[in-house]
Amino acid sequence: MAIKFKKVDFKYQGNDNKAYLALSNITLNIKAEGEFITLIGETGSGKTTLVQHMNALLTPLSGDVEIFGVKINRENVKKKRVKLNPIRQQVGLVFQFPEYQLFEETILKDIIFGPKNFGVDEKTAIERAKNVIKVVGLDESYLSRSPFNLSGGEKKRVSIAGILAMEPDILILDEPTSGLDPLGRNALLDVFYNIHTKLNKTIIIITHDMNTVYEYAKRVLVMRDSYLVYDGDPIELFTKKNIENWNLDVPDLLHLINQIETDLNLKLPKKPRNETELFTQLKAVLK
Amino acid sequence: MDIIQMKNVSFEYQQDQPVLENINLNIKKGEWLTILGHNGSGKSTLSKLLIGLLKPNQGEIIVDNILLSRETIQDVRKHIGIVFQNPDNQFVGVTVRDDIAFGLENLQVPRNEMVERIEKYAHKVNMAEFLNKEPHNLSGGQKQRVAIAGILAMQTDIIIFDEATSMLDPKGRKMILEYMKQLNAEGVTIITITHDMKESVLSDRIVVLKNGKILKIDTATNVLKDQETLEKSNLEMLLPLKVLRYLERENIADEKVRSYLWQLSLKR
Ligand SMILES: Nc1ncnc2c1ncn2[C@@H]1O[C@H](COP(=O)(O)OP(=O)(O)OP(=O)(O)O)[C@@H](O)[C@H]1O
Ligand SMILES: Nc1ncnc2c1ncn2[C@@H]1O[C@H](COP(=O)(O)OP(=O)(O)OP(=O)(O)O)[C@@H](O)[C@H]1O
Ligand SMILES: [Mg+2]
Ligand SMILES: [Mg+2]
Repeated sequence: MAIKFKKVDFKYQGNDNKAYLALSNITLNIKAEGEFITLIGETGSGKTTLVQHMNALLTPLSGDVEIFGVKINRENVKKKRVKLNPIRQQVGLVFQFPEYQLFEETILKDIIFGPKNFGVDEKTAIERAKNVIKVVGLDESYLSRSPFNLSGGEKKRVSIAGILAMEPDILILDEPTSGLDPLGRNALLDVFYNIHTKLNKTIIIITHDMNTVYEYAKRVLVMRDSYLVYDGDPIELFTKKNIENWNLDVPDLLHLINQIETDLNLKLPKKPRNETELFTQLKAVLK
Repeated sequence: MDIIQMKNVSFEYQQDQPVLENINLNIKKGEWLTILGHNGSGKSTLSKLLIGLLKPNQGEIIVDNILLSRETIQDVRKHIGIVFQNPDNQFVGVTVRDDIAFGLENLQVPRNEMVERIEKYAHKVNMAEFLNKEPHNLSGGQKQRVAIAGILAMQTDIIIFDEATSMLDPKGRKMILEYMKQLNAEGVTIITITHDMKESVLSDRIVVLKNGKILKIDTATNVLKDQETLEKSNLEMLLPLKVLRYLERENIADEKVRSYLWQLSLKR
């Protein structure tokens, strides 16, 4: 197991002197390879807080988190027994707000910062930057621009490029597709999926998009009010009756299939997982 | 009556790099207009021009019969509110309460009414228990809900939502959309900028931007079935319409299936 949570609690200290509970009794295991996980749940349920524990940006209040064998808890961190650099290199995290991640004068400098920090030489880092900027759907001319004078979706793409350039073992993305145009969203989900299948890497994506969960995830985690309330198969999740209590919704594909089957009195042989499967099955049934 | 008129408006952040070119756009009072387009097509820039945060390099903008200029900007802002794409850019208050109050102070809303409105709109977006919290210390979706409350509380007759629901959970998003419908029914002019094709079905008209130019402006129905236009600006068709297209191409859809899918996709 690459990432282990054992009975983890976390609270934020608010400016109003109240403590805000963000994680309660989280126990969770994530493998170093081969996982494609989506993390979902209502706003404020603790998703961002959870993933920030996965690369030691936050330290549990009680319980412990183990990342590639390194134990992260209050005591170890306080006594400076934890080397953070290797962890940050192994577990790459794209922030929910790209603004928190972009700080250099040019996009090029921003992208090469991570790799250089982890010992990659300048030339290789620049090569990686030229490659990843295209992977996220922007052309090379962006590299010389400032990361601040961009549209929302462009910033998001640049922040993703920065983490891709670090080539981490585990890639965690906090709402990577919010703010992307529809074709960009599909293209980037395919990028993550290809990294997962070709390099067998573990990918964790936070999202509010049920379609992403249904079409890509092998495993889904649901948070509610600081608790992990579901850890399992996505198909099974969407057949549950209580997903609305978790502020979730049925994916478009499933919704459409249910409507068509009821209203047109059809039965599809298998529940299609993506558009192509839906098309072929409909063709067979309608012919 | 046109509540907003953009006449031949162009804008550039840097010299000779136009971001919007010759935009002519009239928006009717009480209309719901959606602006769609690829990342970087100029949607947020257009919205910032409408509230006078940016100044056109060419052309003029008229809001509620007032020609936008440095002298009239404060007047215009009484008519038009905007929920910014990044809620962090909107927060000025130390607490959520202060933050909602700030907009109301600018409108010189009397004290007791102010208190009432803050309570009302914090409840509307389900953030009443966070009124004493610092806006910057909220989760992404909570920030978005506070930003929405702040603008709703101002009760302007035009509201622009720049991807204002992008970080909300499905239930929260539905709630806000329902509320937009209600406001629109009460006569508020609504402009939504979104990448969610399903959201755009709710509007009367859609304008599609591409590289700073208007690619198409038409009724929601006419735009949503125009695959070529949509794809040119990185957009996609609604799922039932994609299915319909496919069945038509394969020549296996009878009239019943066809009209069924068509109705399904445009159901509000
Ligand atoms: N810096 C902070 N200070 C105080 N409280 C915080 C801070 N960050 C988050 N919180 C609180 O902790 C809880 C969990 O927040 P978190 O950001 O993890 O939620 P989330 O599931 O990512 O939500 P969203 O989908 O809206 O991004 C929320 O109630 C939030 O208000
Ligand atoms: N402050 C700025 N300085 C220079 N160029 C900018 C600035 N802000 C935006 N741009 C550029 O202007 C163009 C339009 O940006 P705008 O933010 O209006 O796009 P948008 O349609 O809202 O995109 P998104 O869907 O990504 O939010 C983009 O190419 C962007 O790079
Ligand atoms: Mg979050
Ligand atoms: Mg924008």
